[in-house]
Amino acid sequence: MAEMDFTPSPELTIGVELELQLVQSHDYDLARDAAELLARLEKVPLAGAVKPEITESMIELNTSVHRRHAALAAELEATRDAVVKEAGMLNLRVCGGGAHPFHSWSARRIFPTERFKHILERYGYLAKQFTVFGQHIHVGCPSGDDAVYLVHMMTRYVPHFIALSAASPFYQGEDTSFQSSRLTAVNAFPLAGHMPFVKDWAEFLEYYERMRAFGVVESMKDFYWDIRPKPEYGTIEIRVCDTPLTVGRAAALAAYAQALARWLLDERPQPAKRAVYLVNAFNRFEAARFGLRGQIIDPFAEKKRPLADDVLDAIAGVMPQAAALGGADALAALAADVRSAYSDADWLRERFAANKSLAHTVRESAARWAGDKPRASG
Amino acid sequence: MELGFLPSLPPAFGQPALFGALLLAGLLGGEVVRRTLGLPRITGYVLAGVLLGPQVSGFLAPGALLEARVLIDLSLGLIVFELGHRLDFQWLRRNRWLFAAAIAESVLCFACVFAALLAFGFQPLLAATAAAIGTATSPAVVLLVAHELRAAGQVTERMLLFTAVNCVVAYLALTLLLPFLHLEHATSWRAAVLHPLYILAGSALLGFVASLTLLWLAGWVRKREDRQFILLVALVVLAVGAARSLNLSVVVTLITLGMLARNFDYEHVLLPLRFGYGGQLFFVILFVLTGASLEFGALPAVAGAVLAFIVARFVGKGLALVALGRLSGVRPASAGLLTLALMPMSGLAVVMVLDTAAMYPAFGGELAAVVLSAVALLEILGPVATQIALRRAGEADPAAGSA
Repeated sequence: MAEMDFTPSPELTIGVELELQLVQSHDYDLARDAAELLARLEKVPLAGAVKPEITESMIELNTSVHRRHAALAAELEATRDAVVKEAGMLNLRVCGGGAHPFHSWSARRIFPTERFKHILERYGYLAKQFTVFGQHIHVGCPSGDDAVYLVHMMTRYVPHFIALSAASPFYQGEDTSFQSSRLTAVNAFPLAGHMPFVKDWAEFLEYYERMRAFGVVESMKDFYWDIRPKPEYGTIEIRVCDTPLTVGRAAALAAYAQALARWLLDERPQPAKRAVYLVNAFNRFEAARFGLRGQIIDPFAEKKRPLADDVLDAIAGVMPQAAALGGADALAALAADVRSAYSDADWLRERFAANKSLAHTVRESAARWAGDKPRASG
Repeated sequence: MELGFLPSLPPAFGQPALFGALLLAGLLGGEVVRRTLGLPRITGYVLAGVLLGPQVSGFLAPGALLEARVLIDLSLGLIVFELGHRLDFQWLRRNRWLFAAAIAESVLCFACVFAALLAFGFQPLLAATAAAIGTATSPAVVLLVAHELRAAGQVTERMLLFTAVNCVVAYLALTLLLPFLHLEHATSWRAAVLHPLYILAGSALLGFVASLTLLWLAGWVRKREDRQFILLVALVVLAVGAARSLNLSVVVTLITLGMLARNFDYEHVLLPLRFGYGGQLFFVILFVLTGASLEFGALPAVAGAVLAFIVARFVGKGLALVALGRLSGVRPASAGLLTLALMPMSGLAVVMVLDTAAMYPAFGGELAAVVLSAVALLEILGPVATQIALRRAGEADPAAGSA
């Protein structure tokens, strides 16, 4: 079972995957030119990779592995510039955000690879409704046992990542009232949710083997968990974030995850606690629905508190680690946004209120992605 | 007479009845052709027109066609406006090879058709006029097929862009040939020079003024889809009417209006354009009427020249796309499909032939027969070609019915 051997990555490295929207320039609806764009990008030398995703309206950026925030941010900017330029040659625009505000899901077409065809066959309309755009953050772990501990401990911070990245207030032409409507689309899948409360890597392997023996899953890819271990990379993968509206924020979120991981693994502040999963669904909902204005339950202190306060305290708590890893500026910028109650979801609502058109909201969002001065954590 | 309220027999039906009858005939023709032969509906609209026209049933007399010219101009006006609106200057600036390819497509197509007609012994001036008309792809066909297939993608986008460019080039060429036609007919030098100038500058100016008005009023009514729709239709119809009254070119005016409205919208006041069902009415009318004005009678006599015309057109467009396609980011396989998609000719060409022949009767005879016969063939086959091209390119929505 070599595929489940945990490849150690000792340095708390970070890497990011970003799913991006391709939109047409004349009506700002989703385009279908992923294949054309990818063919052009093959000829452009990039540090990371750009890949197809499940529908022809999306592409996925993968960065290479980094130790420091600055290098990650620089690579993301370079890749973004290349993608925006090549898309421009095809008269396409690229934008961030967790969901396209008004596309019609039935018009989506699945990217023709075996895996994606299989997903369409298996999940039916869910596969097309799954045209949502997320950021995944990988954080390197020294061992499988550390990964298990980190998944359990990071789950307490899942609402932070949801609220800090939330950028999908509109879905199918409606204001959903959620800050992140994307998360709801993910919930519909039968293997969504979280990792079971296993105590170490050995117990996790046991669980995985049973699920495989039942025929519930074929590989780790079939678990759509909020955070899952990724043994072949030697990472844990945080999957709850919407793709933010700027690469700056995407890099800052990775720096936050890295600093948290450093703190948790170095200090082991508490043992993993099952109660985290008792309050998880509640916290996750609060964060997706209300963003930073939500209330969450701290499973360790066992009390309810405003999510924004919780985020600010956590950022302050890991500042020493962030400083050591070179991510202090990014975290300070995130904290400043929390204090000024800024979020990408609110920015989208504000633009919609100003111009009364979702198409024009997408236009502005694409301009922002392309590098107009980001408001946050540049 | 106490029954004076009854109409005299047979009753005289006016424009409204004509409008309704054309729509109904188009609808029926489109459905029948779609259901029995699986061909695009457009082909059915055209065939319905052929059946109603002077060539077959005579329900539409040639006089009726002239009366319906208003409808044709309105329909063409709306269509080229929409086409102009898809022409994105930013894209051409970003991808200069694309602009080069679009120009080359028009120029090579013109050159090939011109050479072919010369080889058939036509007088150079008239051959050039016919070549200019042949340069344009039918905007109505490409737009309607793209709409009905819900096509989206690089071949579709480029098809619309190239069509917009080749229509503009065709009109420019045709207008620049005017002085020579004038001189051929011994009009004064002044008329020869001023007439094309008046048409080009006047139409462009009218389109420019209309676009500024449109943008200004759109900013004022704000982004409400219903109001912007009324505003668009109002300004398009106004511009068509003004162009007709001023003896300007409806097509140049409206394509200018569309282009400038899109590219001068710095404040982003316009919503994306959606003519929807209302726009479809004009498409149907246009195709039925062009169907009625098609002439097949001359085809056997000029079959050789017609074939040469069509093949030269295809070769010209194909050469440019194969040569410059790669550089402008078209995949080699797509260049062929794009050439195929650009085949249709229709109402626009008929209008150009009629206008030219009205001013210069010498154009009327044999050459008009060649062009109109080519139009007749491409009007029927063109939509099928475009449909095949977009389907093959994988850009048609599989769930969308045949166009």
